[in-house]
Amino acid sequence: MNILGLILFLLIAGGVAWAAERVNPNAPRWVGLIAFIAAGAYVANAWAGGYAYANQYIEWIPRFGIHVILSMDGLSLMLTALTLFLGAVAVVSSWTETKRRTGFFQFNVLWVMAGVVGVFTALDLFLFFFFWEVMLIPMYFLIAIWGHENKAFAAMKFFLFTQISGLLMLFAILALVYFNYANTGSITFNYNDLLGAELAPDVAFYLMLGFFVAFVVKLPGVPFHTWLPDAHTQAPTAGSVILAGILLKTGAYGLIRFVIPLFPDASAQFANWAMFLGALSILYGGYMAYSQSDFKRLVAYSSVAHMGFVLLGAFAFVDAGGAAGMNPLGMQGAVVTMIAHGFSTAALFMMAGALQERLHTREMSNMGGLWMRAPRMGVMTMFFVVASVGMPGLGNFIGEFLVLLGAFQANVPLTVAAALGVVVAAVYGLVLLQRAFQGEPNPDVPAMRDFGLREMTVMTLMMAALIWIGVYPQPLLDLSAPVIETLWIAP
Amino acid sequence: MDLLWLVPTLPLLGFFALFVAGLFVSEARPLKWFSGIVGAGSVGLAALVALVVGMDFYAQDAEPQWYLLWTWMDVDGFTPSIRLYLDGLSLVMMGVITGVGFLIHLYATGYMWDEGGYSRFFAYMNLFVFAMLMLVLGDNLLVLFLGWEGVGLCSYLLIGFFHAQPENGYAARKAFVVTRVGDTAMLLGLFLLFREVGSIEVQASMAGARELWPEGSTMATLIALLLLGGAVGKSAQLPLQTWLPDAMAGPTPVSALIHAATMVTAGVYLIARTHELFLLSPTAQLAVASVGLATLFIASFTALTQRDIKRVLAYSTMSQIGYMFLALGVGAWSAAIFHLMTHAFFKALLFLASGSVILALHHEQDMFKMGGLWRKLPIPFASMLIGSIALAALPFTSGFYSKDAIVLASFDFEPAGWLFWGGAAFAAFLTALYTTRMMVITFFGKTRIEPHDHSRINMWGTLALLCLLAIGGGWFGLAPVAAVLPDGGLGEADHTSAVALATMAAPFLGIALGWLLFHNRRINVDGLVASPFGDAMRRFWFSGWGFDWVYDRVFVKPFIIVARLNKADVVDFAYRIIAAVTRGLHYVIALTQSGRLRWYAANMAIGLLVAFLIVLDAL
Repeated sequence: MNILGLILFLLIAGGVAWAAERVNPNAPRWVGLIAFIAAGAYVANAWAGGYAYANQYIEWIPRFGIHVILSMDGLSLMLTALTLFLGAVAVVSSWTETKRRTGFFQFNVLWVMAGVVGVFTALDLFLFFFFWEVMLIPMYFLIAIWGHENKAFAAMKFFLFTQISGLLMLFAILALVYFNYANTGSITFNYNDLLGAELAPDVAFYLMLGFFVAFVVKLPGVPFHTWLPDAHTQAPTAGSVILAGILLKTGAYGLIRFVIPLFPDASAQFANWAMFLGALSILYGGYMAYSQSDFKRLVAYSSVAHMGFVLLGAFAFVDAGGAAGMNPLGMQGAVVTMIAHGFSTAALFMMAGALQERLHTREMSNMGGLWMRAPRMGVMTMFFVVASVGMPGLGNFIGEFLVLLGAFQANVPLTVAAALGVVVAAVYGLVLLQRAFQGEPNPDVPAMRDFGLREMTVMTLMMAALIWIGVYPQPLLDLSAPVIETLWIAP
Repeated sequence: MDLLWLVPTLPLLGFFALFVAGLFVSEARPLKWFSGIVGAGSVGLAALVALVVGMDFYAQDAEPQWYLLWTWMDVDGFTPSIRLYLDGLSLVMMGVITGVGFLIHLYATGYMWDEGGYSRFFAYMNLFVFAMLMLVLGDNLLVLFLGWEGVGLCSYLLIGFFHAQPENGYAARKAFVVTRVGDTAMLLGLFLLFREVGSIEVQASMAGARELWPEGSTMATLIALLLLGGAVGKSAQLPLQTWLPDAMAGPTPVSALIHAATMVTAGVYLIARTHELFLLSPTAQLAVASVGLATLFIASFTALTQRDIKRVLAYSTMSQIGYMFLALGVGAWSAAIFHLMTHAFFKALLFLASGSVILALHHEQDMFKMGGLWRKLPIPFASMLIGSIALAALPFTSGFYSKDAIVLASFDFEPAGWLFWGGAAFAAFLTALYTTRMMVITFFGKTRIEPHDHSRINMWGTLALLCLLAIGGGWFGLAPVAAVLPDGGLGEADHTSAVALATMAAPFLGIALGWLLFHNRRINVDGLVASPFGDAMRRFWFSGWGFDWVYDRVFVKPFIIVARLNKADVVDFAYRIIAAVTRGLHYVIALTQSGRLRWYAANMAIGLLVAFLIVLDAL
């Protein structure tokens, strides 16, 4: 599979979409949708044909050991597939919402996704950082230009948090390369060369911390999460879908792909703190979700809680003959959580966007009884709330259950605390449903259009995905199992 | 014939059909007919298939059977399968769920006819039956948990079925959240069991536990207590019982099916299913018995003071499940399941009959506004009377055989069997007392509201069938569980000892006292209640012994208050301070850019001077 070609295709499609606005303001949407479907079909075809696994290696700046290394393994593959699918969902969810500068809008959507695909496949740290920035700038524009009432503030907050943490990561990358150079005498940014880098324990610890903070800001974990509710609330629907569905996963991916394999000892040493932050995110994120009265803010905080499971599971190292060992249960749970949360939360943000478009409010006190007005929207909200509450038989449960089962082998008190998060999830999930869709119909609410074919198609696809993951997650697990095995290089 | 998979699949298909139909077809008469036929039909077919499966099971010498559907997942040695397990215990449960479930569905086709959301109602009900069947048929605790959470979800959906009234939504959420507290304990129990035994398959892990731990082992006790946590949540036992009375907000068939006959007994099933673990831990056994007895007591006294007929029945359900827990705790395993079954018959009957009364009175549930109905609503009255005598456990009714077995077994319990026996017998007296009170107030005395009987044939036909079960459902004992449960089935009851006679007399005393108190008025009950002490007592009991009051203040209120205070997120405060400081510094530095040339010149001179001095110093 030609990964570079895939990324370039998305970038070029972005340019085409921008230009297409001159022809017709509706044209860019079609360009965006077709580009994502085409790219998705390409990946799906390669996946089904069994030749999705790929490795591309091109010289870039040989003097500094910088290469274009793009590699597709099982983990990258499922995340790329999710990215392209949610790209299409994002385009559809903003179909009627964006009316200004539709060309530039689609350009930004396509460029974010191109950057994300790069992040999920780059195996050169310099290239990784490059893509990390590529996905950031268009996202900033999406919030700053098409956002809601307080967009400038939210966009700036998002930008600063990501940029400062990115800087931290850049320092850590450069330091890692430097220390490796001091040991071996060669400069390289190649991930595979850096994997076994010999570092003094305290150096490794601080470098690990640099990467860790950068990725946990993105995840986001408590206490670095406060950019998220603002960014989500203000972003246009497509922006929220991309942010929650995909961008948060880049943080999770970074933890799994870079932090743990590059610094196994330091990670194991830090594991209890990381798990603590995970459990804290689950409880605090869930509690904050309950405290909100804004539909989108509530869902945004619930993402903090769900991503806490990733942190908890990824760092649940177990004792393997006296040394720290990888915990496949926790790690697989983290991966499944990433995918399942991508679907469930994208759907809920799409719902939030659809409500705002119809009612011009996100405040749940202005809703109520919407089930009577729009039963299909009610049923769909209920389904995705139930999924995100962790109902067995749906995707999120598999992820969370495996995470907790794995974490229990590593740290019982933190697992008990995290398990209580399941109760909190029930509280905020059901309150969301109650305030928006149940109760006495609000007389101030105007008659609203229920979901039509366009929305129902997308929702049904996401529903099917969650049922599939919940009932038979094995294809997903088989895809990530070999990757997880190689992540852990025995010290 | 491997038809077992069909039993849960049929209601699931019914759910899908109704779900899709409900999404795309608007409410109309043909849809109603479709919903009724699919909704009740799918469960009816499941009951027929269950019957065939049961006969087949006995044709093959009643050996336990497995049916593998598929491997749910396979992660590093953790390989739960979607596999069904059929033995005597799951057979009985399956029979109760599909049989009683079908009757209740049938009744509901009539009861719900005039309500909105007909297809949605049957969709949820079918999903419930599917989940409940998975709960009892799963051979893996994770599959059991799938059903466990599934029935919880359906319970939530159906309690809040009339979702336009916010209080129904509140009751539904309360049920879901309170039971989830128990579910979390159960989940931790599964984790611990997996860590220690390496499997959460029921048969394998129980065998492993027996091998691994001696009797009285701490680990077995811990796991058993965690599972008990799940059981008390689902089965509305102390201290997680508070959701059940509020759950009566759901339509009455829902109360009959979920909150009387099936879901609330899931905790009893769980403990019976994992009995090996409880046998290893006398502490856990004692805990089960004590929880049962305490709930039995508290719920019986509470039922004595309720005004709402459905709440009387709810507290009665709670107390009858208390009997089942007591039975499990004292080791009368078969008696517990026996009572589960007979209770499903007579309590479903009581709920459905009360539903007919409520419907005839235009949704009036306050007993004190009823009265004198026995002539005007003869079928509901006869049904309720039969249900009541079974509930009170008068001889030759189904409830008698099962309850008697429990009360007598608790006498032999170590330690303090006489205490458990005395409590159980006294509670039998209380049961008869509150049942008499309910019947007298509802059906005798002055008529306050003129009823209009809306019963259709599918409704009173169901009542008639349930009457037969409530009377005769206990005559044949419960043979299938004998091979599964450690006590080897129900023993031969000896009804001649003093203890047995006293046990048998207790309900009659209750009825006699109830008649004197509430009908003859030989004893002035109003005066008793009017005294300061009596009034305080009545209010205390009426509120369910103040549990809601305490939980509200200890958990709910603080949770809400802190949430309100922290809506803006205290963590963000730190970042806002950084932003404010940065902005302040910006302001200070901006001040230096004053546009005055003299100021710039002076600054430059000072700067040069300082630089010069530093250089000089370095030299």
